[in-house]
Amino acid sequence: MFKLLGAFCILGSCGYIGVRISSIYKKRTEIFRFLQNGLTLLETEISYCSTPLPLALERVGKKINKDCQPLFVRAAAVLKENKGVTAAEAWQAGVEALGHEVPLTKEEKELLFIFGHGLGGSAKEEQVKNIALTQKQLNVLEKAAEEEQARNQKMWQYLSFSIGAVIVLILI
Amino acid sequence: MAKVIINREINKESNEVLSGIATFPLKVSSLTWFQALSPHLQELVIDGLQSFMSEIEEIRLRVKRPIIFRVGDREMTVTAQKEFTLQLEQGYIITREEMERTVQILSQNSLYAWEDEFKNGYLTIPGGHRIGLVGRGILEQGEIKTLKDLSGINYRIGRQILGCADEVLPYLVKKEQAYHTLIISPPQCGKTTLLRDVIRQISEGIPELLFPGMNVGLVDERSEIAGMYQGEPQFQVGLRTDVLDACPKAQGMMMLVRSMSPGLIATDEIGKKEDIEALYNALQAGVKVITTVHGSGFEEIKERRNIQSLINWRFFERIIVLSRREGVGTIETIIDGKTLERLR
Repeated sequence: MFKLLGAFCILGSCGYIGVRISSIYKKRTEIFRFLQNGLTLLETEISYCSTPLPLALERVGKKINKDCQPLFVRAAAVLKENKGVTAAEAWQAGVEALGHEVPLTKEEKELLFIFGHGLGGSAKEEQVKNIALTQKQLNVLEKAAEEEQARNQKMWQYLSFSIGAVIVLILI
Repeated sequence: MAKVIINREINKESNEVLSGIATFPLKVSSLTWFQALSPHLQELVIDGLQSFMSEIEEIRLRVKRPIIFRVGDREMTVTAQKEFTLQLEQGYIITREEMERTVQILSQNSLYAWEDEFKNGYLTIPGGHRIGLVGRGILEQGEIKTLKDLSGINYRIGRQILGCADEVLPYLVKKEQAYHTLIISPPQCGKTTLLRDVIRQISEGIPELLFPGMNVGLVDERSEIAGMYQGEPQFQVGLRTDVLDACPKAQGMMMLVRSMSPGLIATDEIGKKEDIEALYNALQAGVKVITTVHGSGFEEIKERRNIQSLINWRFFERIIVLSRREGVGTIETIIDGKTLERLR
C-alpha cells in the first residue's frame, strides 16, 4: 500500500517538474509575442500622444500581458525615481527584471538592450523606425522560440515521466 | 537609492532656506526649477548659493564656460569646489556631458515629445519656468526643424507674486468693466508677473473695488503666463480664466472670442501686424484686451510702426510703464490712453 502511494508520489512529482520545464518554453514564445504588442502600444504613445517616456512606459505596463509587465513597469520606475539616469539604463534594468521572470539568452537580452539605446533620444520618425526594426527581430525570436517549444515541450513531459517511472522501477 | 535620499535632504534644506527669508511668500513647490537641474548642479547650488535660493532669476549653462547665476542685477557663480564667488571666470565649467544630462532631465529622456518646443527654442517645465535653448539648427526646406548639439541653456525662473497688481488695479477697472490696457516694460522688469496677477484678480473679482470678476481668455503663446504643463496651469491665473496654450496670438484671440465668450482677453508681447488686426477684431466683438509690449517708455512705443496706430487711434484706455528703477516691477507711470494724461 505504502509502496504504491510512494510510487504515485514519485511519478507525480517528476511529471510536475516536466510540465514546469516545458511551460517555460511556452512562456518564452508568449513573451516575444506580447513584447511586439507592447512595442505597438509604445509606438502609439510616442507618435500620436507625444507622451514623455516615463509616463508612456507606465501606461504600456498597465495595459500589457502580465508576463511582460516587469519590463515596462521597472523601466518606468527607474526613470521616475532616479534623476540623470538615461533611458537606455532604465530599459536595461527593465530587461533584467524581465530576465528574472523568464530565462533569456545573452543574444536576446542584447537585442533588447540595443533597442533601449535608441529609446527617447530622437525625433518621432526615428523612434517609430527603431520600434519597427525591433518588432521584426522579436518576430524572428518568436518563431525560433515556437520551434524550440514544439521540439522540447513534449520531450520534457515524456522524459520527466519516464525518469519517474525508472526511479519507481528501481526502487521496487 | 542614494540619489533619492539626497533629494529628500535637499528638499528639507531648501525648506529651511525658504523659511529664513520672508521677502515675499514662497512655497517649496516654487522650487520646481531646482528639480530640473542635474544632481551635480543641485549640489553646487545647495552648497554655494544657499542664501540666494529664493532670489535666483536666471541660471545660464554654456558648454565649456562657467555656470552663471543672475540674482537681481548681480551675476555670480559657484566654483568646482562648491564655493560662492563673484569672479565669473572661476566658476564651475559646464562640460558637454553635463549639458547632455541636463537635456535628458529636462526632456524626461523623451526628445520626441518636445519636437515643437525644440523648434521654438524653449520649453516649459513643471512650475511654469521657461527653459531657453540654443544649439545647432537642423533645417528642413529652409525652416528650423530642430536643434542639435545644444550649447546653451537658460533657466528663467518664473515667480508668482500674488498681490503685485494691487497698486495698479484701481486704475484698470471701473464698476463691472475693465479697461483696454497696455503694459510697457523693458525685459526683466516684471511685466509677465504683473500681467499674471492682473489676470488672476480680474478673473476672481476684487472685493475692495467692488469688482465682481469676469471670464478671462488667456492666449499664452509662449506658455509663460500660466506656465501650462500637461494641461494644468502652474501659476494661479484665476478661477474664471481659460488658457489657450502655445497658440499664435492672433489666431488664438479669434478662437477665444468665438469659443469661450470672454469678457477680457489677455496676451503677452504684441507687435506683429496680425496681432494688431486681432485686437481690432476683439474690440468689435466687445471684448476688452490687456496686453504687454517690450519698450523702455511711452515715448519710444509711440514711434513703433504697428503699435503707433493703436496709440494714435486711442485704442488703449490705460497704459502702464514699468521699470527697474526701484527694483523689479517699479511702476513708472500710468497714463490715460484717451487723454494721454498721467494718472500716476
